[in-house]
Amino acid sequence: MSALERRCRWLLRAYPAWYRRDRGGEMLGTLLEASPPGARWPSFRDARALVIGGARVRGWTWLISMLWVALGAGGAIYATVTFSHVGYGQGAIWMVQWPGEPPVIIDVAVIALPVWMLLSVPVLVAGFVRFRAWRPRYWLRVAGWAASWVSGLVLMNQTADWAAAGEGSPRGFLSVRELAICAAWLALGGAMTWILSGPPARAESSVSDGNLAAG
Amino acid sequence: MREPTYFVLVSLLDGPLHGYAIIQRAEHLSGGRVRLATGTLYTALDRLTAEGYVELVSEEIVNGRARRSYGLTPLGAGALRAEAARMAAAASLVTGRGQSPETVRSARKVRPA
Repeated sequence: MSALERRCRWLLRAYPAWYRRDRGGEMLGTLLEASPPGARWPSFRDARALVIGGARVRGWTWLISMLWVALGAGGAIYATVTFSHVGYGQGAIWMVQWPGEPPVIIDVAVIALPVWMLLSVPVLVAGFVRFRAWRPRYWLRVAGWAASWVSGLVLMNQTADWAAAGEGSPRGFLSVRELAICAAWLALGGAMTWILSGPPARAESSVSDGNLAAG
Repeated sequence: MREPTYFVLVSLLDGPLHGYAIIQRAEHLSGGRVRLATGTLYTALDRLTAEGYVELVSEEIVNGRARRSYGLTPLGAGALRAEAARMAAAASLVTGRGQSPETVRSARKVRPA
């Protein structure tokens, strides 16, 4: 397997597994044919189109879920930076701040928290709507989705608890606990991606009919 | 209809083509202006297939990988003709200056299906 093919295969992972099973080989062939002779990397245009195409196929349920996960992980990083910052001394729940913190960071944090909280409900509902037409044997995925959502709430609450516990105590060293929470968020994002990796009902029926997946 | 979609359909006018052939044909027919990325092509094919404009015609195995050929459906050919007429009417508003008002009016009446 050439370096180009290996990299193209890696890029195709932007698409969910059910789509790759149907289209992966065909798309890989087209990518390799469209690349100039001797190329070791796919072009930027191809890479960008695959990432965008993969996000489209995965659908808006996956997109808002990943935004929810990214905001949670970002909150943990924010807490890490705050705790690791020399001179840390102010804080309120997990909207911790330090003297001299750039206003733009404060503004982003002030927006990110309510966005995360507001997204919690549509993320939960969208998952169940997505699974609604699935066959009964997928109940495990439905349960997994609910568990992922509860895990996200627990992680956010844990970040807030640890941030509150550290309030007012200057530390000036890297906070490992918040980094662990960030890692847990990333793992949760992977789990949610896997849970959503099945085809939506419409595409699933197309595949079972022997037609092309509509995405 | 966006330009890449238009040229994907135009490239299939002369018969079914596989993915890379569609990319090449669209680039050739557009004078190099439309250079479809692979991801863009398959997003368009998914949509056009779902809308009934394009259909899977044949499938073969090349180098161990599926190679599928796509063809234009009658519905897709009709939509393409309607789009071409719409663009011709729009173009005539510029290129048809100096023609009689009746000619321009009749061109304006052409609308996409």
